[in-house]
Amino acid sequence: MSDTAYHWQHVPHQHRGPHQHTGADDHIYSPKLHNGTFKSQGIATFLGAPYCPPDRNAIRAMGAKVCFIGVPWDQGQVVRAGTSQGAAGIREASTQYFPYMFEYDVDLLTFFRIVDCGDIPIVPGNNEKSHEYIYHYLTECLHGGAKVVLCGGDHSVPIPGARALSDFHKNGRIGYLHVDCHLDAAPDWAGNAFTNCSGPSRALDLPNCSAKNLVHMGSRNGLNPKDWHDFFVDNEVRLIPMQELVARGVVECTKEIFTRAWDGTDGVYFSWDTDSIDSSCMPGTTAPECFGLKGREIIQLARTAGTFGADIMEVSELCPKFDVSHISIKTAALMIMHYLGSRAKTLRDRGQQP
Amino acid sequence: MNPAKSYAHLFSPLGGEGGENYRAPGQLTFLRAPHVALDTEALKAHGARYAFVGVPFDEGNVGKPGSEDGPREFRIASQEYLSYWFEFGVDLNGLAVDCGDVPMPKVNPDSARERIYRAVTTVLKAGVTPIIVGGDRSISIQAARALSDHIGAGKKMGCLHFGAHLDMADSWAGEKLLSTCALARITELPNLPAANAAHIGARNSMNPKDYIDLAKARGIRFYPMFEIYERGIDAVTREAVGKVWGGTDAQYLSFNFNVMDASAAPGVTATEPGGLESREMVRVADIIGEQKTASLIDVTELAPVYDVSGTTSRLAVCTVLRLMAAMARARGELVDQGLRRSDLTAAE
Repeated sequence: MSDTAYHWQHVPHQHRGPHQHTGADDHIYSPKLHNGTFKSQGIATFLGAPYCPPDRNAIRAMGAKVCFIGVPWDQGQVVRAGTSQGAAGIREASTQYFPYMFEYDVDLLTFFRIVDCGDIPIVPGNNEKSHEYIYHYLTECLHGGAKVVLCGGDHSVPIPGARALSDFHKNGRIGYLHVDCHLDAAPDWAGNAFTNCSGPSRALDLPNCSAKNLVHMGSRNGLNPKDWHDFFVDNEVRLIPMQELVARGVVECTKEIFTRAWDGTDGVYFSWDTDSIDSSCMPGTTAPECFGLKGREIIQLARTAGTFGADIMEVSELCPKFDVSHISIKTAALMIMHYLGSRAKTLRDRGQQP
Repeated sequence: MNPAKSYAHLFSPLGGEGGENYRAPGQLTFLRAPHVALDTEALKAHGARYAFVGVPFDEGNVGKPGSEDGPREFRIASQEYLSYWFEFGVDLNGLAVDCGDVPMPKVNPDSARERIYRAVTTVLKAGVTPIIVGGDRSISIQAARALSDHIGAGKKMGCLHFGAHLDMADSWAGEKLLSTCALARITELPNLPAANAAHIGARNSMNPKDYIDLAKARGIRFYPMFEIYERGIDAVTREAVGKVWGGTDAQYLSFNFNVMDASAAPGVTATEPGGLESREMVRVADIIGEQKTASLIDVTELAPVYDVSGTTSRLAVCTVLRLMAAMARARGELVDQGLRRSDLTAAE
């Protein structure tokens, strides 16, 4: 594959028709001629980013530093189905936003040369094979020199996701963050070790992820069987339940978890389950729970996370079919966008490139 | 007529012929207020302080439609409240009239805009404060222009706007009067000094770069949500109110309900996470209410189709009523503390 085959360029498809825009930065300003990508979709991509095949050479050739990739997989979980539409929901919600974020004075698209790699293929009824695809596609993105925004899909997705990161840093160490209403630390669920109930358990199985770099934050309520809690006690894994987050504040707790995850490691997997958010702000999730993060806490968490960064940031369990007022899909899009905006500002302030 | 009946509405219904269910009005109007024709002389004759005018206009939006159903739903939600507000010790009964909706021609936004302008002017000429419920945010352009023309060149007006977006596009796809251009047009009014304009609640990325650039170029003070996270809503609201009411002859108060957090207001055209919580909006109404009067109030971007439990319209109604109640208290219009329900029974 030649390098010239893939050239990063952001020109929405409408602008290539008979009524063209010409300015390179047109996409960060109010439209001059017509409504641009507002209400007029081309290929549905995250923030209108150009499509790039999930291929390491293509990603390198386009110079992409962030790959958005979806996983339409909801058969690795034990609750309600519907999260297979999550990535599509985020892409749809992103048409209501600009890539420019005034809070950070940054154009996300050009700063990171974001590409959308489409969705990872899955095999219905086969969690194992689907996880293998997830593993291989994420491996391509990482070897393509990009950070990954992974949109689930159910919360079994971090199992192959963290394994991909672990192998990518096989000569180093990785950290693993699990922000979730549920502890997800089952040794297995009815004999299956790879469901959405076992993210942290499988992360600790990885050869280069130690307990001191593994943290859980946001747990609450009664869908947390005793063995899940015992995992954190027995393995001395740091756990910040919701009560502690409320008492100390989301910014301080987020700083702590990222500091722990990055302590002596070469990469971090940041898994963010949408059910960590209060059910009032996130009705569109697999298992909505009260007493979760509120609107501004979500944004503060994303903003603080962006000051640390992660190799893979994953948003999971988004279920547009339960999102009657379309508030959850926009919130999920903003979890990613505030994270990226803050990441961009942090790097720029340090004089660094992504 | 039995004089006791003049204050029967302050109490729980007594039943019988005089005890109608407050949720079953004969005519669906804002807070069961009387309908008065949209006519300056008729409004003058009635002597109310506020005139409710619905503007079911949805042709200035650039994103999701749905706000043209806003006025209807707002009226329905207003049936859920009584006129007595115990926190303030005031009675809103008699303060407002309902002038109905401005009839909207479809597919003719220029004509619609002129009708909105004329409707607001008609109310202002009667010396009455319009409460305009949209409709999309672009109706604010016409409402503000009407107020500006009404007070004339020699007077100064202030503008306090709540919303998630700055709406500071000089033009959008060549159009100058869309909702995305609202604050850009309003801050061009000749008698609205930049020092007397304030915007509260900006967040997230439906604020393209030109919005920010123009707001800065014009010296418009905007208080983004990040600032409210740090300073709190009380301090920010007081500072903004000081700018808008300080040294001005007229004040325009504008609520785009996307200023609320998406969880508190799912029924708006553009939900935005990270916004105000309902208890903060209550503080906003209480603090603004200390000012006694406003010259023009509008509420925009309610989208009942997304408001599955009706909570958003109800919050919008509550905010407006609370503001009216706080202002009534500030003016000293208190209900006689000695009135009792037993007096009513005795009078029967």
